[in-house]
Parts: sequence; structure tokens; C-alpha cells
Amino acid sequence: MELITPLAYLLIFPGFLFLAVYGLFLQWVDRKLCAVMQNRMGPPWFQGYADFIKLLAKEVIVPDEANTRMFRVLPFFAMAAIITALLSIPVWGTALYGFQGDLVAVIYLLTIPTVTFFLAGWSSASPYSTVGAMRVLTQLFAYEVPLMLSLIGPAILAGTWNITEISAFYAAHPVLIPAQLLGFLAALIALQGKLERMPFDIPHAKNEIVGGQFTEYSGRLLDFFLLAVDMEMVVGAALLNAVFLGGALGLTGPAAIAMFLAKTLFITFLLALLKVLMARIRIEQMINFCWKYLAPVAMAQLVFDIFLKYKLG
Amino acid sequence: MSKITIPLGPQHPALKEPENFMLVLEGEQISGATVNLGYNHRGMEKAAEGRTYLQNLYLIERVCGICSHSHTTTYITNVEELAKCETPKRALAIRTLFAELERVHSHLLWLGVAGYEMGFETLFMYTWRDREQVLDCLEMLSGNRVHYSINTIGGVRRDITPEQKAGVVQRINYLIERTNYYIKLALEEPTVAARTANVGKLPLDVAIERGAVGPTARASGLARDVRKDEPYLIYNELDFKLITHNTNDVFGRLVVRALELVESYKMIKQVLNDLPEGPIAVKVPMRIAPGECVNHYEAPRGEDIHYLKSNGTDKPERLKVRAPTLANLQSVAYMLEGGWLADVPLVIAAIDPCMSCTDRAAVWNPKKGKTEVYSWEDLRKLSIEQYRKRGVDFTRL
Amino acid sequence: MSDFPREEKIKADIEAKFGGAVSNALVQRKNRVWLDVTTEKLPDLMAWLKANSFDHLATVTGFDEGENLGAYYHATDTKLIVTVKVKTPRANPSIPSILKTFPGALSYERELEDMLGIKIDGLPPGRRYPLAEDFPTDQYPLRKDWKTEDYLAQQAALNTEAK
Repeated sequence: MELITPLAYLLIFPGFLFLAVYGLFLQWVDRKLCAVMQNRMGPPWFQGYADFIKLLAKEVIVPDEANTRMFRVLPFFAMAAIITALLSIPVWGTALYGFQGDLVAVIYLLTIPTVTFFLAGWSSASPYSTVGAMRVLTQLFAYEVPLMLSLIGPAILAGTWNITEISAFYAAHPVLIPAQLLGFLAALIALQGKLERMPFDIPHAKNEIVGGQFTEYSGRLLDFFLLAVDMEMVVGAALLNAVFLGGALGLTGPAAIAMFLAKTLFITFLLALLKVLMARIRIEQMINFCWKYLAPVAMAQLVFDIFLKYKLG
Repeated sequence: MSKITIPLGPQHPALKEPENFMLVLEGEQISGATVNLGYNHRGMEKAAEGRTYLQNLYLIERVCGICSHSHTTTYITNVEELAKCETPKRALAIRTLFAELERVHSHLLWLGVAGYEMGFETLFMYTWRDREQVLDCLEMLSGNRVHYSINTIGGVRRDITPEQKAGVVQRINYLIERTNYYIKLALEEPTVAARTANVGKLPLDVAIERGAVGPTARASGLARDVRKDEPYLIYNELDFKLITHNTNDVFGRLVVRALELVESYKMIKQVLNDLPEGPIAVKVPMRIAPGECVNHYEAPRGEDIHYLKSNGTDKPERLKVRAPTLANLQSVAYMLEGGWLADVPLVIAAIDPCMSCTDRAAVWNPKKGKTEVYSWEDLRKLSIEQYRKRGVDFTRL
Repeated sequence: MSDFPREEKIKADIEAKFGGAVSNALVQRKNRVWLDVTTEKLPDLMAWLKANSFDHLATVTGFDEGENLGAYYHATDTKLIVTVKVKTPRANPSIPSILKTFPGALSYERELEDMLGIKIDGLPPGRRYPLAEDFPTDQYPLRKDWKTEDYLAQQAALNTEAK
């Protein structure tokens, strides 16, 4: 029993199986929302699952030039990092393995997928993937700092580095949630960049560099990369929910899970809205934007939080 | 930083037709670009020499899927000039109406493609939905959405009824409203401005030197429009403005096309309101007296020019077609150099490229395991059989 | 003397300037001037046209006239089209390039080379246009003695089998 429970957590709920199913569901929600906003029909609910299963059956082609071992192992690496990150984020009130400082650990764990995207593009050794890989890394430097800065703000105000404690603090002091609005918006935009969605889908801009870092990927390996991206969206939304929106708001059991689903859906809606509103910008415009506007906004929130903390004592 | 050469095409998601751009990249910036063409030469000019004037009309229509009316009108103007035929006024007016509807359809299509190339999919979805309205107009008037085949030697095939007129006006009114929204969007949305302003610069002197035509030239401040310069059809009776812009970039091309849409709506209403009475076609003999002539036409993408030489038989001696894209491509290499990789699809799309020119179709037969070539007669036989199955008999024609 | 003073003036100017090199000058109708010129004088004439407001070379038509191969340069100020015709013997067809005056004429000149086999003096090296890379370089499809049927008969892969 001692071994089975953590294994079940890891593999079934809230680990791999839940993340995969819910990630593909969020992918459909995102696509459907975009379609409705763009005046289209959009795909049926099972599209994400059908695509996933279909791609599993397709042949895997590894380019001759590519570093074969690296090429094959990277998608699983990305997925593992994302699942590990979720273990410290509360899904039903408390996190599975929360500890003091897990906020920093989660931020670092969420950087690993991006690094695997870069390595995937780089080890493919094709011109499009190389350009894509360079863009992944350039983009990482643009959004990572605003994302970190905006996540630190609420932690300072709550006086803890434990994500579960942060959400418990805001659940206890819901008045302080609206005070984090600026930081929340900055984190949302930075998350859009992390998930490489419009207007920041620069590393795999199809009209320019075809599939970007994933150009040479096919079949199962591509499938797991795409699944990792969908999972990252769930984890990203869960993180924003726990840090900024007070997590389950003190609820327990099934109600807490329902709250989790509702809030991640809401964040998905905001992300979809960002996606349809804008044109893709250029990489240098993105760096300008992130450093000139997004980082100062996150910084302002941080300063405000420190001030608030001082005032509240 | 080391240089990478990236091939853009002949098969690439940003390009809808086979063409190739070799880009030399330094980081994200382009230090050299070459344009390669000729992946899809269809031998239309040769094919035209073996067909009668009337058959050629349907061949020329297929030079381009979007400018199908432009090419046939240029061709037919040439044929009618050589045949010394007095085309009825009403036919000319109907041709003008189609020309402007085609321009609307083409510019809306371009607006969508531009949106897609800059990664603004919502704009793409919106404009292509609205473009259905003008395609409905064209289908209602001619029976076809894209290859209208409204022209025939000596006039047009179909007349316009008052009900059709009302239907077109109603749809145009809707489109006017939508276009104003797009103009507002193009001018106010910051990401659109960020992606188009100062991108793909083409200064006026380079535009002249490289022979740019159409909206590409007009966005560089070059007031060159055949409709104004040498009015054909009934353009000298219509009231419209020549749109130019002086920013020399993709933003200028966007503005020029958007404002031209407004002018086109105006013209469509003018033509419909003052549609002259009379016959819609006159008879023209099959054989055309020897002679030669050259005529140009302002297609949605720019100046389209045809040269035609007749030799007294029912087939042309030589037909030369120069589509506007060929003239504009010389400018593309210039516009790409020094720019960003991310801007390449947009700069290429900004001239609204349309690579086009068949005399046969090769078909792979898996049962026999070899390629077969259908001749003109085979294709004709096939299509007659196809229609007979549906209950229509064309053998008597 | 004429209904078309501007067209007549252009014609007279060219005839005065280029004298013997120009022949068969004709004002066909409003906005259309046609004239023949010798191949040697072609670049000079095109330069003169460009300097005199005809700064847009609309296109170049290649034409197989039988004994001679012709190239018709349609220069225009978008109102008036001046068509300049040059002839070159079929046995050894050669025309000087006009790229110095009209850099935009590159693809038109390549087309003359590819479709009619007219050698253009001064054309920079580069990929052929408009024919495919594997098309034989000694065949010129727009010449009247080139027949599509003959070409197809040579192509084993495309061997026609009547349905």
C-alpha cells in the first residue's frame, strides 16, 4: 500500500494519466474557443485524443544527420519534467510533495521542457529546426524573467516559498487576490510565451520555418512532444491558479477538484483570447516587449507586494 | 555568426504555388536572396497556337484561378480589336462589373493571406468568410464562383436581371461595412502595425527601375493604374480615385488594397445603377484578319499585358501573356535583402504572387503500373461520358 | 495631319534620332506606336525611350517569324505603348541585352533564351526560366517547327497509350 499510493498518484491522478487526458481536453477547449471566436465550427471533442492515437501508429523517422539517442529520448524528458512539476502544485487543496522552496523548483522544472525543445531542434540538424532551436532559446530569455518576477510577488506577500502555503494564504485573505492583478496579467502573457502560442509562436512559425524545432520529428516522438506541450498548459494554468487565484479557496475533496477544473478552464479561456486577438510578432519585437514592458510591470507588482507586506506588518 | 542557407520552396507552407527563394541568413537577418521560378510551366502560349480563338478563351481563363476575368478580358479586347468588332455598351459594362467584383474578391483574399502570413489567423478567417459574399455575387451572376466564363467573343454570355442587381447591391453594402472595420483594424491593431511598418521597403526609384506594377507600385507612390492611364471598358465614365501611398512598405500595400476595395464598391454600384440598355453580344466571324495588337489591363495584382498576332485563320499565330506577378518578382529579391526571416512570407505575399501557364494531364494508373497521358480528345471524351452518366448529352455540340 | 499628335511626335523624334536604324514606324491607333530597329541600335533606343518617360518595360514577346526570330519590346509610360521590334537570323540568333537600362527585364530575356533559343549578349548566368531543369537545352518550344507531339514521343516515361 505504501508503494502503490504514490505510484497511483504519479501515474494516474494527478500524474500522467490525468495530465494527458485533461491536457488533450484543454487543447480541444482552446481550439474550440478559438474557432468560435473566429467564426468557425472547430473540431469535435474527441479530436485531440483521435490525433494522439493516430500519431502513435505512424512511422518514426530519425534523420541520418541527427544525434539518434538524444533525438529519441528528448520527448520523454520533457514529459517527465512536467509531471514532476505538477507534484508540487496543489490540485485538491494540498500538493502531493510540497516543501519549502518548491515554487523555485517548479519554475526550474518548467524550464526543462523549453531546453529539450531547443535540444530537439538542435540535434535534428536541419536548417528549419536549427533556426527554430535558436528562437526557442532567444525566447526563453525574453519571457523567463518576467514570469519569475511575477511569481515571486505573491510569494513575498504570503511570506512563504511553498506553493500550497501560498494558495492557502490567499484562500484565507481573498481581499489580497485583486491586488495581484498586474502580476497575474504579466504572468499570463509570459505563460503564453512559454507555451509558444500566438502571438509568441515564433519558434515554430509555420509560414517561416515550417515546423520549427519539431520539423524533423514524426510519429510517436512528435506525439509525445505535442502531448508534453498540452500537459505544460495544464501545469502552467495550475501554477497561476495556485499562486495568484488562491487555489481551491479552502475547499476540500471533490469540490476542490471541481474548483481546480473551473479555474484552469478560465485561464485557458484567457489564453485562447490572447491567441485570437493578435498577429504573431517578430523575435526581436518580442524581446523588446518582454524587457521594456512586461518585466517592469512584473517588477512594479513585486515592489507593490513588498510595500504591502511592510504595511500589513 | 555563421551563415545558413534556407530554402523557401518550391514546397513550403507559406507558398501556395511552386516557386523557390534561396535565403542566406545571418542569425535572423537575410543577407542575400535569389528568386527561382519555372517549376510549373504549362506551355499555355504554345497551346494557344493550336486552338481556335474561342477555345483559347477558355484556355486563357485558366492562366490564373483568381484573375480569370482579367486574362480573358485582355485577350478578348485584343481579338475584338483585330476583328474590328463593335462590342455593345452593355457588354462592356457587364465586363467592368465583373472586373471590379473580381478585384474585390482578390483583394479580400489577399487581406486574408496577409493576415495568415503575419500569424494573425483571426483576420484570415474573417476576411475569407466575407469573401464568400462576393463569390456568391459572382456565382449568382455567372453560375461559377471562380472561372466565371462571362466573356465571349463579341460580348458577354449572360445578362443581368433586376433581381440579381438587388442581390449584388445588398451584398456589397454588407461588404462596405466589413471593409471599414478592416481598415480600422489595420490602422489600430498594434501587432499589425508592428509586423507591416518598415517591412519590405521598395523606394520609388527602385520600383520604377524594376518595373513594379499594381498595388505594389502604388504603395511606393508610383501613380500607375491602367484604368486611369489608358481607360478600357467603361472606366472613363466611372468616378473613382487612384489610390497611392508613400510608405513604400507592406503597410502601404495593405492600405492601398483596403482603400481600393472601397473604390471598387463605389464602381460596382455606379455600373449597376447606370447599366446601359441594348444587346449583350454581337456575332464575330471565326476567322480573324491578319494583324497584331497589344493591350493592357489593370488586374487586381497589377498590369496584365497581352500581345496577339493573327494570320487570317481561326487560330492565333502568337499569343503572349505577361501576368503582373512576373513584373513584380524582380522587386521581391530587393525587398527581402536586409530584412528579417520572419518577414519573408509577408513580403512575398505582399505582391500577391500568382505563379501561372497545359496541354496535357499525366495520370498515374496504379492498375497498369504506369503513367498515362490524356490528350485533348481523351479528356473531351471523358468529360462527355461523365456528363452522359448524369443525363446531359454534349455529343451534338 | 493626324488625329494623334503625341504619337506622331514620338515617331518623328525616334526617326530623327536613330535615322537609318529605324524602319516601318507606324502609328497604329491612339496610344500604339510600332517600329522596327536593327539589333545593334536596340540598347541605345531603349535607353532613349527610358529617358523620354517610357520607363516601364511591360514585357518582351519572342516570335518565330520563319527565317528570322523576332523580339518585340513593349515599352510604355502606361498610357502609350511603343513596341520596338528586332529581328535576328534563325541560323545564329543573337540580341544585345538591355539589362543596363531595364534591370527588370531579366526574366523576359531569360524567357527569350529558353523558349526561342535567342542568345542574349550580356545576360548574367543564373537558373533557366521558365522551363523545367530537366528539359533539353537544345529544344525551343516556341519555335514553329517544335511540335508537342514530337516531344512527347521522345519521352519514354510519358509514352502515350490511348485510353
